[in-house]
Amino acid sequence: MNKKPTSPHIQIYRWNATSLTSIMHRASGIALYFSVIAICWYIVHYAYQINIGIEEENCDCWSKGLLKCLFLSAVFILTGALYYHFFNGIRHLFWDIDKGFELKTAKTNSYLVIFLATIFTLATFGIAFYL
Amino acid sequence: MKKIKISPSTKTGSHHWIHQRVSAVAMIPLIIWLCFSGVQIAQDPQGYLPVFFAYPLNAVMGIILVVASLYHGSLGMRVIIEDYISNKMKMHFYIMLVHFLSFSTAIAGILAIIRLHLIG
Repeated sequence: MNKKPTSPHIQIYRWNATSLTSIMHRASGIALYFSVIAICWYIVHYAYQINIGIEEENCDCWSKGLLKCLFLSAVFILTGALYYHFFNGIRHLFWDIDKGFELKTAKTNSYLVIFLATIFTLATFGIAFYL
Repeated sequence: MKKIKISPSTKTGSHHWIHQRVSAVAMIPLIIWLCFSGVQIAQDPQGYLPVFFAYPLNAVMGIILVVASLYHGSLGMRVIIEDYISNKMKMHFYIMLVHFLSFSTAIAGILAIIRLHLIG
């Protein structure tokens, strides 16, 4: 086997807000990429139906309720991912113009991004369903 | 004297980086539009979804969002694939797969939005 010393792997390091936001930026990016593709193909499916806006079957079965529940939770998670990627992306753009690199600022901004994403997700769902 | 061998660059790094940022900035207003229209659709999906793309603003914003997000997404996926897949063969295969997926999805999505715009 390889006897060379290896650099410490990810589980060695202590978790902190800055590394967590960085990893979550990638994870949410991947999730959003595949969801954009799914939404696009859903629009294609929707546009080429025969009678747009008319549901064919209207059964009251449990599978439909389950599907709706799954769909809503997927939309909830993706809304969170979208807001998170949006706010953290703005943070990345500020880094690109050389702002916000101090350790303390970066830490505060990580918490700020997570906080804003949570608040906006809950607010969006609140407005969409209770207004 | 041994000559230093400089490995050839792919010459795509900076152009890739700038395009990623430009598409990110372009998507800020598009995402704000998406959130407002998502809430609007959620209020009455049955009534609003068939006519959503009939409004010119929604059709234009939708098409730009599809193109910008898939472009931004394929650039990002390319970076992730380059980081985590060390086998060069596999790496190029997955990058091409992502490009093909993004390209075909963008064309199909644009066509569907145009169709919904015309018949909605």
